[in-house]
Amino acid sequence: MVETKKIKVLSLNNFNKFITNLIKNDRYEVIGVKAKGKRFAFGLLENLEELRLDHDVTILPPKKYFLPQYETLMEYNLEKQFDVKAKEEIKPRIIIGIHPYDVIALEQMDKVYLDSQKDDFYKKRRENTILIASDIQTVSDRSFASSMNTNITDKGFDLLLTNIGNKYTVTIGTQKGKEILEKFAKVEDAKEPDIKKIDITRKKTLNKYKKKVKLPKEDWPSILVDNYDSGIWEERSDKCIECSSCTMVCPTCYCYDVKDEVSLNLKSGIRIRTWDGCMLRDFTKVGSGEVFREDKKERYRHRFFRKGNYLPARYGFVACVGCGRCGIACLPDIADPSEVMSSLAHHRKSDDTTRFFVKQETKVAETNPIHVPRKATIKRIEKLTDIEKLFEIELDDKKPLGHKPGQFVEVSIFGIGEAPFGLASPPSDSPAFEIAVRNVGNVTSKLHKMSVGDKIGIRGPLGNGFDIKAMERKHLLLTSGGIGMYPMRSLIKYVLDKKNRNNFKEVIILYGAKRPKEIIFLNEIQDWKKCEDTTCQLTVDRCEQGECWSESVGLITTLFPKIRVDKLDSKNTIAVVVGPPIMYKFVIKCLQTLGIPDENIYVSLERRMKCGVGKCGHCQINGVYVCKEGPVFNYKQIRNLPEAFE
Amino acid sequence: MKQKLRVAIFDFADCEGCELEIADLEEEILDLLEIVDIVSFREVMKEHSDNYDIAIVEGSIMRPMDEKRLRNIRSKAKILVALGACATIGGVNKIRNQWMHDEVIRAVYGDAPIQGNELFDVFKTKAINEIVPVDYYIHGCPIDRDEFKHVITALALGKKPEIPRYPVCVECKKNENICQFELGAYCLGPITRAGCKAICPTHNSPCEGCRGLIKKSETECVWEVLERYNLSYEDIRRRCTMYNYGKEECSVDE
Repeated sequence: MVETKKIKVLSLNNFNKFITNLIKNDRYEVIGVKAKGKRFAFGLLENLEELRLDHDVTILPPKKYFLPQYETLMEYNLEKQFDVKAKEEIKPRIIIGIHPYDVIALEQMDKVYLDSQKDDFYKKRRENTILIASDIQTVSDRSFASSMNTNITDKGFDLLLTNIGNKYTVTIGTQKGKEILEKFAKVEDAKEPDIKKIDITRKKTLNKYKKKVKLPKEDWPSILVDNYDSGIWEERSDKCIECSSCTMVCPTCYCYDVKDEVSLNLKSGIRIRTWDGCMLRDFTKVGSGEVFREDKKERYRHRFFRKGNYLPARYGFVACVGCGRCGIACLPDIADPSEVMSSLAHHRKSDDTTRFFVKQETKVAETNPIHVPRKATIKRIEKLTDIEKLFEIELDDKKPLGHKPGQFVEVSIFGIGEAPFGLASPPSDSPAFEIAVRNVGNVTSKLHKMSVGDKIGIRGPLGNGFDIKAMERKHLLLTSGGIGMYPMRSLIKYVLDKKNRNNFKEVIILYGAKRPKEIIFLNEIQDWKKCEDTTCQLTVDRCEQGECWSESVGLITTLFPKIRVDKLDSKNTIAVVVGPPIMYKFVIKCLQTLGIPDENIYVSLERRMKCGVGKCGHCQINGVYVCKEGPVFNYKQIRNLPEAFE
Repeated sequence: MKQKLRVAIFDFADCEGCELEIADLEEEILDLLEIVDIVSFREVMKEHSDNYDIAIVEGSIMRPMDEKRLRNIRSKAKILVALGACATIGGVNKIRNQWMHDEVIRAVYGDAPIQGNELFDVFKTKAINEIVPVDYYIHGCPIDRDEFKHVITALALGKKPEIPRYPVCVECKKNENICQFELGAYCLGPITRAGCKAICPTHNSPCEGCRGLIKKSETECVWEVLERYNLSYEDIRRRCTMYNYGKEECSVDE
């Protein structure tokens, strides 16, 4: 029951004065719903007549005022080595006419953007904006908000307007709203009949919904779980033209891409973020060219699972508010969740609703602002192979990075971009750390051209590293393939360090590369071999005549039969696997054959970790953010994630 | 600062409108000259040099003499950039490929004595990547100036330019346009490469596909859309003729 004193009444005349006063104010920019052709859109209000509270639905949700389509995150000067500042021009705003479903969508977005790693731009915009919501008067043909319980709301707004015929009621949601109302309007307390009228109006609107979902939203997560392999995804996505319009118009799609743009004279540049869509093929593409959701069926399914299962598992809400925008925008008309979910209504519910999610939060120090990197200097460069180099980097504030083996950093080169790199050096008290870099993309190729003394930007350490505690007093079987050796080196050097060596039992290191010349850290490997209770086996896929190689030839799996099963205390062995995507399932099979339990296996996975703070969406494996819950995972936790080892 | 890249701009069969877009950078031309040396640009300067790193080539290839000249340019350039629809996909010049060669000649030149004159010795229109390998593309009719700047600055910084591989709809939606299909028009946006900021639909004109198609127009999903909006395959074929004749799928490989 709403407190009656929180509800005020405005005569039509006073309502008009209220809006006009708001528009005339000089502190806030006033945004409202306006007509755009036969549709509606939020835009700058210039006069009272423009405001259309009878709108059915706006083309884009008000999300654009909190996460704009194109947004400058920072500006930098390229004439100096490292001169960057976060862009901060956030105007106080009043937005009038937001429907309840969009209010709820914003509350959901708060959960994602204001979690442990707060997006400071979003936060400031939220703090600087007053939401004057409006009860729905006209129901969009495609909306199914009544099925999602998002057609009305009693919170999330500063003020809520309801047209009750000859006057408006104003429900006060916050102190901020109350102050605005007192300052700009002449109101009276609502009386009993007025409040009754609110209910009547809402009930009348409720009856106008043509579209309904046959499946209650509480059941979406449990129904989807067992329909992961349903034919519906392929059948419907066959018609998908992959335009991602569904995600662009969605109030609960928050994924974005980040790009660098420089001025034509190369003197300055900006880093912008712009909306991205998981329906686009390149969304999951990493530097080496791998695409992790190659089939459009997988991308199509991802969108529904994210809304109906992944976000519910993570935050407890179904991330669809029934606005119907995707249904309007989708040309082949396959995007409408009400239709997809209704068609699954007769299916069995599963209790295992969180199957595609791993609860594992990174304990990160809150950095503010989260997007702006710290200044660092390249201290030493060592050539590893023709296309790989090791960089020693030092933070200019001379503070140690404070990382754990298995964590990563985002490296920024202004004008070029930002890319994630696993840390290759063990934890250290010194401000220096190392990353190894294979030259495959724009950032890596620029890094390869840089010299000692050059400045770069660092964000991190990010993600979850290896669980060192779980490894203590255990035997270790450390398998790496190709560039998987980079993060593995961090762990090996930590374990073999004299200070720590007694904490671990026997160490077996298995390492494979394609060719002998691609085996890196060979000198260090010789040292590792000399360590007590440590064996180190190497293999190459191929060795041609004339190439110097005295060790095994064959895939990494050929090294496993050499391990004496009778000597291996498999239950007390922790296995760690890092390598190219293709390697995992084969190596894991070998480990299982050795009797190593799944919970003793740790893997580090590569995905497109763009933001590194669990927002931009690119690195998702089902409901899991690799940048946040990973990149290191316990195998038992993720063995049921279909996208993990495909 | 290290040695500036030497850039030469050439044109073949076209309206030179894309070159004009470069010339139209106005005072920004000075910024451009700070990062590269323009050593040849017939539309705006008299000087010419055959010593260049980057060749920016505008226009379609129609004649053996053009082909020879293009091959010569390619052999001198370290990087070759196709500029504008005529160069990247053949563009409007390909419309004539739908008629018999003799018919076209007769329709245009009538009985004029052109026999044996190599200037009139034309073959079917080709995009430049049908003759020589192209490193980078600046799409559009005309090009988008910001995209030109993006490509030039990327090359000057030694990075690979990022040209979208998703459809115009993405940018159109960001601009909060009413969908052209909703307005009863037929738009090539869903199958055309973005990067133009959806300029046409934003100005209430359906997309004509000048940046090349990223999806075959005869795929099932496109049919589905046509059917829903009561459009026929003939409609889409006609619409594609303007810029994408004979090229149902853009062959641009980036």
